[in-house]
Amino acid sequence: MIFSSPYFLFLYFPAVLLLYYISPLKWRNLVLLVVNLIFYGWGEPVYVLIMFASIAIDYSHGRIVTRCKASGNDRGARMAVASSVVFNLLLLGFFKYYNFIAGSLAAVGAGFLPVIDSLPLPGGSIPFTLPIGISFYTFQTMSYTIDVYRGDARCQKNIITFGTFVTLFPQLIAGPIIKYKDLDDQLEHRDHTVEKFASGVQRFTIGACKKVLLANALGPLWDVYLATPGDRLTTLGAWLGIVAFSLQLYFDFSGYSDMAIGLGRMLGFEFLENFNYPYISKSASEFWRRWHISLGSWFREYLYFPLGGSRVKPPRMVFNLLVVWAATGIWHGASWNFLLWGLYWFVWIGLEKLWLGRVLEKTPAWVCHIYGVVIAVVGWAIFAVEDFSAMGPYLAAMFGFGAGALDGDFLYYLRNYLPILVIAIAAATPLGKTVWHKLPQRARQAAFPMLMLAGLALTTAYLVDGTYNPFLYFRF
Amino acid sequence: MLDYRPATAGADIGDMFMSKKYSIFITALFCLFIFGFGAAHFILPDREFSEQENKNLTLFRAPTWETVRSGEFMEKFEKYYNDQFPLRDQWVQMKAYSERALGKQENNKVYFDRIEGGQTLFAHFTKISDEDLATRVGFVNKLGENLDVPVYFSLVPDKSWAWADYLPDYAPNVDDGSTIEKAQELCRGNVKYIDLRGTLGGEGDAFYRTDHHWTTMGAMRACFDLIRDISGGNSGDWYHEPELRSDQFYGTTWSAAGAAWVRPDSIYTMIPEGGTRGHITVDRYPEGEPIPGGLYYPEKLEVKDKYAYFLGGNQPLCVIKNPDAANGKLLVVRDSYSDCLAPFLAEEFREVHLYDLRYNNVSLKKYVAENGVDQVLVLYSANNFNTDKNLFKLGL
Repeated sequence: MIFSSPYFLFLYFPAVLLLYYISPLKWRNLVLLVVNLIFYGWGEPVYVLIMFASIAIDYSHGRIVTRCKASGNDRGARMAVASSVVFNLLLLGFFKYYNFIAGSLAAVGAGFLPVIDSLPLPGGSIPFTLPIGISFYTFQTMSYTIDVYRGDARCQKNIITFGTFVTLFPQLIAGPIIKYKDLDDQLEHRDHTVEKFASGVQRFTIGACKKVLLANALGPLWDVYLATPGDRLTTLGAWLGIVAFSLQLYFDFSGYSDMAIGLGRMLGFEFLENFNYPYISKSASEFWRRWHISLGSWFREYLYFPLGGSRVKPPRMVFNLLVVWAATGIWHGASWNFLLWGLYWFVWIGLEKLWLGRVLEKTPAWVCHIYGVVIAVVGWAIFAVEDFSAMGPYLAAMFGFGAGALDGDFLYYLRNYLPILVIAIAAATPLGKTVWHKLPQRARQAAFPMLMLAGLALTTAYLVDGTYNPFLYFRF
Repeated sequence: MLDYRPATAGADIGDMFMSKKYSIFITALFCLFIFGFGAAHFILPDREFSEQENKNLTLFRAPTWETVRSGEFMEKFEKYYNDQFPLRDQWVQMKAYSERALGKQENNKVYFDRIEGGQTLFAHFTKISDEDLATRVGFVNKLGENLDVPVYFSLVPDKSWAWADYLPDYAPNVDDGSTIEKAQELCRGNVKYIDLRGTLGGEGDAFYRTDHHWTTMGAMRACFDLIRDISGGNSGDWYHEPELRSDQFYGTTWSAAGAAWVRPDSIYTMIPEGGTRGHITVDRYPEGEPIPGGLYYPEKLEVKDKYAYFLGGNQPLCVIKNPDAANGKLLVVRDSYSDCLAPFLAEEFREVHLYDLRYNNVSLKKYVAENGVDQVLVLYSANNFNTDKNLFKLGL
């Protein structure tokens, strides 16, 4: 199930609110667990079994780690952590990377692994597809056992509460990736205030507008240029297309995170932020502190720091960065272009750490802004054009080796998408927020209900018409 | 590195929501919106058909163990929920207005014209490759080889070609003019191409503004061209003023665009002065057996899909007889454009067989022989010709 759909907004979510708030406090986690499973099972009912397995295995590993630590058996505790990590990685590895690995091996003549099309199950086989959100929830549960071992998180003894954490629907399928230690207090006890609910409403509405009114509006423009054959791509057209994609992905993803944070608040939770205006970054490193913050922080905490981070000799640091960025790349999808995209960021961030960062410090801010946004946008071309035979011509067209500077199609699309592009670019900066907070509180309080209703109505109109509403994270 | 503080309950929620009263107001407003439409969906009866969109709406189907397990139930339910959403037509229109307000010159793959501000709607067609076109014309040539009688072939251009000046500047679209030129060059053997571009081109009343079809006037003038090439005769001096049948026609392109601001089209007929020049009978073959029919179906003027006024809509086969006419038996391999043309052909031929490839699997060669057909006309709109999956049957 996805948030940006009428049946979610007008059927599922009202029902959840009703059930949740008429239940006594001590039952609310159980209510959440049940509705979470319906949410997950809606798209792929059989894969609910993965949820059960995930809950059972991570719950029991947490208990084992705690027991081993209590009896001074550090070796046993480490074994349990390792076993939990292996289980989660195997789960992710099988569903997400198995066919990629099998296919890649076959491509170099080592096709000893058969490609799997369907999973035989009792009662009939089902198509072998990527379980939605698996990259997000395996990372969340992995962090739990590690944190219990490190002493950063308490062990959860109640399997219902733990299950609620693993399956929590607002952030289950597209993040933010929430670490157990950031949520454990709230799982046991959270305030349900009307102030928090109202701020959740505001946040959800903003997110829905970002996803439905901006991201979905820009998507078709990118689709046009993605489908344009390489020999017909013009330079300005290629840039127009990739700028549209950059904005689409940002508003889609950050809109989804906003909706998650808003829904969380309406249920009493407070999640961490996931985006912070990434396109105003002045460097590659800053971009990744502003883009998908929960993923960057996860990799830092559970991969980069354990490898030694930056507090090592330069060659080792470069190696550590390489590992982290290769992993970040391939996390985004089982395809070579994502790996290449990760390495692209490795190069920029490595350069910044070694010497470019010091150069940028002395460079005028506006030059740094251009540098920051251009490398991000060029990176998206590697990310978005999965087919290598198309990626080359696309990048070539962007850098002037295309079918001329512009053509009639470009003029048509520019003319048609200019207003939405201008709105989207402005909305990708803190401009609106700054202006909004300059207004007197009374003016904001008067304007907000109207803006909210207009936003919800337009969102509903675009969803009901529903000609273009993709879910971009099916690969993650 | 950013410093990640663990979130605490009641973190920054913005000063706007410090007041409890105001928060209750916002919460109530939001809940009213989602619970209100949610409840209305339950209460309001479901519709089977959307007049505005000219399509059947998805209805609720009870889940079974198997459909839930496979996910089929959920997929259908999502369609059902959208199709039956309260005030669906109004939401669809709101989106179209919003797109236009944002300066878009199209909505749902329909272009708004640039001269009258969206009173004429052009469907967006995808281009056809030269190879694909050659294959398709090849089927017509094959038909020519198979038959001993003359085969005529003609394509009806879309209004996006005839009224190209009305399209938004640089709007990417298929160029029917060049498609027709190429198709004409590809004709071989006893297949003779009849070019209708001269008759249908330029500004005029040959096409509907809100529908993809040609109008009665367009079809009539095309008929003059066809007659001239097929029988060498002249016709037309007996037609005078068009007669208005409906001024409330909203066509297919309008349905797709959700463009509520567009004024309706009018449907006319052209009937020779003093009535038809002979005794015309129509036999419909909806399921193999003939049933008597007519050239016009006035009851269709009362429903949304008013173009079905002509011959009553799609049918596998329709035979129109006029024993007093001057020419012999004509078989037309039809698409829906032929329905509006049929009354004019009926004045000229003793028999007109409208034959739809989509619903017939009999060999055309056999049908022509068995029925003593004198001429065959393959007549398609350029877009239907570019996309139809049944053309191969021409060569069977």
